[in-house]
This record gives sequence, structure tokens and C-alpha cells, in this order.
Amino acid sequence: MAPHPPLPPPIAAQLNHLLAYSPLPFKVEQIWSGCRNGRYSDRFTLLIPFCLDYIKWDVIFSAYHPSAVPDFIFSAEDVDFNPLLEAHEKEAGANGLAVASPLVDWNYKDPSRLLNLVCHLRDSYVSYQKKKAEQVDDERMRFEISTVLARKGTEIFVASFPDRDEVKFTIPIPDLEFNKLVTPCPWKQEQKIYLQASFVVAKGYTTTAPVPRLKLVSTQDLKPFLNVDDIKLIPWSDEMCMLTYLSDLEVKLNDQVVEAVAGVAKRRRFIEALSPFFGRPLEADPVFCRRASVLGISGVFTFLVHFSIPLQFPTKQPTLKLESVQHFNLNGLPIVSSPINDYPWSPRWDNTEMAERIYDFLVDECLNFKKYCSEKIPATQ
Amino acid sequence: MGGGATDASTAPPYSLPPSLFMPEDILFCVDIGPESGRQMRVSGPKGNNVLTRLDAIKQALLLFAHAKLTMCMDHRFAFSYLGSSFSMVKEFTNNIKSVAEVVRTLTTPDVLSEDVDITKLFEVANCEGNKSRALGHLFRVVLIYCRSSVWPQYKWPAKQKTFTMDVVYLHDKPGPDNCPQLVYDALGDAAEQVSEHVSYIFETGQGLTRILFRHMCILLAHPIQRCAQDDIDMPKPVVKRVLPGGGDGTMGEERAVISNLFKH
Repeated sequence: MAPHPPLPPPIAAQLNHLLAYSPLPFKVEQIWSGCRNGRYSDRFTLLIPFCLDYIKWDVIFSAYHPSAVPDFIFSAEDVDFNPLLEAHEKEAGANGLAVASPLVDWNYKDPSRLLNLVCHLRDSYVSYQKKKAEQVDDERMRFEISTVLARKGTEIFVASFPDRDEVKFTIPIPDLEFNKLVTPCPWKQEQKIYLQASFVVAKGYTTTAPVPRLKLVSTQDLKPFLNVDDIKLIPWSDEMCMLTYLSDLEVKLNDQVVEAVAGVAKRRRFIEALSPFFGRPLEADPVFCRRASVLGISGVFTFLVHFSIPLQFPTKQPTLKLESVQHFNLNGLPIVSSPINDYPWSPRWDNTEMAERIYDFLVDECLNFKKYCSEKIPATQ
Repeated sequence: MGGGATDASTAPPYSLPPSLFMPEDILFCVDIGPESGRQMRVSGPKGNNVLTRLDAIKQALLLFAHAKLTMCMDHRFAFSYLGSSFSMVKEFTNNIKSVAEVVRTLTTPDVLSEDVDITKLFEVANCEGNKSRALGHLFRVVLIYCRSSVWPQYKWPAKQKTFTMDVVYLHDKPGPDNCPQLVYDALGDAAEQVSEHVSYIFETGQGLTRILFRHMCILLAHPIQRCAQDDIDMPKPVVKRVLPGGGDGTMGEERAVISNLFKH
């Protein structure tokens, strides 16, 4: 972010609270002052997570009136997004007095108000996009939209063009409950997998049903446990609709999750099997068992072996990296080998045999590495 | 390479139970008193290089930080030194370039110091340890000490164990004018008194850098995943296994012989 003058304390408190306590990953893109050479900043661009992407809203406070409620500038594409008018129309029916309460109730002394307001506006935005989707002129799409919208947490984004509408669904897969599967749970936030389905709906008369582009997306922190990029999606066929596709997908994902849990245990047993050959590992990953490092010695040559264990273990073998304890490059850093994963391997071996075979391989390999280090830089003795 | 039962057979076998991983915040405290300027023994054909203890320590620090960061990018390092008193140099970083820059600045002062007190080191460790704990990190001190006749003084509450301290002790060969054994014992007592988890203490009077580097690498061991110092079984030799001569061993027999050979 470009350097900027500080926010006045009441405004900073609102923003800090939002970033610290939001259930969704909001980001700040830039902060700036409304005045040229202003002493304080009072405006910022918020990136609001929506449909696995971000929408940008500018939040406009005033450094001269830090107690006043901020204005919002929404994206240029959302010209007809008017949450205040909607609230007005909704409330007007109820009691004749139109107010959007988080704005009227604004209390600058309560640092949680901005978060409350932004979440409120975001909910309005979700509804706004849903309404846009309901207006897409395609009977098949309207059917898909109505069935999918019934699922909790689904978000829709519609981009309209003269010749077509692009409709993007983001549907969270329910009941995967990752935070309960791994104990103790290393994740502070709830981990989720989403199906992203993008349809291009041509305007005007068309006979063919739109075929979606499908993608699985997960929360970032899930990757050391389960990588959705490795999961092959069932291809879409003509008889399918989103509901049936989702139901088959849920079964498949549940199987993948069971495999992932079993995978952690397999990797854990492998790391434990290293110890009779290599001694107690210096450090290993006790959560997902993706790495371990050991210290070895051949004559007077001491070296580290770093094991990196893939999610597809044992089908895919661990990658090894050797690090010399005695040879240093021009920057004074120890010399490291390139990753090694072409040593003899079979997924059918038991853990002890795997460890044994790696040990046997390293007997010669560490001497090759020592030679490589000596040639690269003279050893300090 | 001999076989047979040894100490390690009484230790429980290694296991990696599921638990949360705590990245480490490691505070190095380097003794830069005059004895850190003593020369290391340089063996081999490159005998013309003059290497002081401090030079070797600086290289060892880079080795340690690089190896630790290769294992996990979230470990962090801070540096301090012990001259006539304790002094912080730099706060925590996990950037190897920053580490290299700080390490480069460590130099031996000309000041002759008599007593040395590490109470301030413990106070800083206690305070920083609380901050680390709040972040879900584990705090550790690694003290690298070089004096052969003087051991550090400290005043610390007996039951207060809020961090772990490892010690590496570089000293002269024992003689009538020094007492490295007493210093070693005092350092060990200090480490044991303050340490929350298993702490390690290593010493060398031989002046060989490869021994120092090997000790530093054993200190890479994460305190929560350590065994007791007496049970340390690494580095293990990675050499051709001696198989029993004559007759056909079954796979199982072969394996039993191999695992016996590696128990030490």
C-alpha cells in the first residue's frame, strides 16, 4: 500500500475492528486523504469478499468530522445497487418512516459500527445480485437459479452484456466440517470447499442449454491437508442440472476427505519409521505430517536431510533435499542440493522398507553431494 | 560399527503424536568478551586461515537460521550479545538476509570484563516469551558462551520457567589457570533452572569448527519434539549397512540385524 498520513483515532478504531473481527476476509487496498496534503487520511478502498472474488467499495469519512457516519461509493458496474432505497421501500411499508438503521444509529464511539454497517450493506448486495439473476431471460437458467439459491451460503454474481449474461454461482459444499476432522484443529477460521459454476447465457432465442464451466475452490489454509486442484471433477452432461451434479459431487468429496484423513495417518507412520535409521528427527510437522528433517553423518561430513512428503504419498514418493553443515556459498549460507525424487521407490513397500531404501540410497548420494559441495566452494574446516 | 543394547534402548521409541505446531522465536545471546577472539584450530590444508571463535560462531548462526527456515518459514530469530553486560541487537526476523546483516555486525570489544550477569537476558526472555506465547510461538534462548574461568551470575526466581535455554560452550583446554568444568556445570545449572522444556548444553574445547557446527545442528531440534539429552541418537551414520555373512537371511532377519546395529 502506498504511504499515507494516519487515520484519526476514531476512524482507525473502526477500520481496525473491522479487519480484526470480521468473519470474512476483508482487505484494504488503499488509504488516502480527502484533502491535498491533508494531515490525516479519511478515505479507504475496501475489498469485500463476494462470490470467491472481491468487489471494491470506497468508504468516505471526513477528517474534519470524524464522528460522522461515512459515505460509500460502490462499483461503477453496480449503478442500480441502492441499498438505502431498498431499505426505504421495505420500511416504508412497515411503519411509514424510512430509515436504514445502521446509518441512523451511527455511534462513532463504538468501534464495531463500521463492521456492522459493511456486513449489512454486503447482505443487501447479495440480495441485489440474486434479484439480477432472477431477471435473466432464460427459463433453464431461472430453474437452476431457483434450485441452487435455496442452498445456504450460495452467492450469485451476474454480469450483463448486450449479447449475453454471465451468471456465476459459488456454492459451499455442506457438511464437510474440516475443523472437526483434524484434531487438534490448527485452523482459526472455518475451512470450506466451494463449487464455482459459470454459465454464459446468450440473449435472444437459443435451443441449447448453457453448459457451465466448473471449478472447485477451497479456502487457502486447507491446501496442506487437501488440494482441490488434484480432484478431477465429473464432466457435465446434457441430462444434468446443478442439483444432481452437486449431490454427486458431495459424495465424491466426502470420499476425498476420508482419504485425506487417512493420508495424514499414513504420513505420520512414515515419519516415525525414519527414526531407527536416521535417528530422532530434529523437527517434523505434527499436524499434517508433510515434512521432517534429520541429521546424518558420513565420516566427518555432517549433513541435514529435509523430507517433503506429498499429499499423494505413498503413490508419490517424498522429495529429499540435502543441506551441508560444513560447506558455505559466497553469501555464507549452507549449500543445499536440488530436490531429489528419482530414487528407487515403490508404494507397496511398508514404512520400514521405505525408510531403509531411502537410507541405502543416501549412503552414496551424500558422498556425491559432498563432492558437489567441495567442488562448488572450499569447505571451512 | 558395534551393536548391542545401549542407553537409547531405555528411551521410548520416537513418536509424532498429533498436536499443534508452534513456530519458534529464538533469541541468540553471543558472548563477545575477549575470549571470543581466541583462535579456532584450523585443520586440513587450508591452515593459513585465521578463524576466531566469534568468526566460527557467526558462521554457525547463519547455518542454524538457514536450516531452521528451510524446515519452516515461520521460525524467527533475534540477536543479543554479552560483553561486560547484556545488550539486544535486533528484534525478531524470519528474513535470512536480515539475519546475515545482523550477524555481520557482531564484533569483539576491547573491554576486559570480570563478572558477567545474565539476569537482564532472562528478564528480556521472560517478557518476549509472553509476547511469543500470545502469537502461538515457542520462545527459546540459545546462549553461546566463551569464557573459561568466569561463569555468568544471575538472580532468578526458582520456579519461574517461562522459556527454554540451550547453551553452547566454547572453552580452552582445562589447565591450572582456568576452570571450564566449573563453568560448564554452572551453565548447565542455569539452563536447568530457567527452562520450561528440554534444554541441551554442548561444550567443546577442541576448537574445531565442524564440532561447533554439529552441536548447533543438534540444537535445531524443536524443544517440544525433543528427547532427553542422554537419549540423543543423532547424527546417525549414513554408511553401508553390514549384512550378516553366510546363509540366506529372510527379509525379517535382515531387518532385525539392521535395527540392532543402529541402536546406540
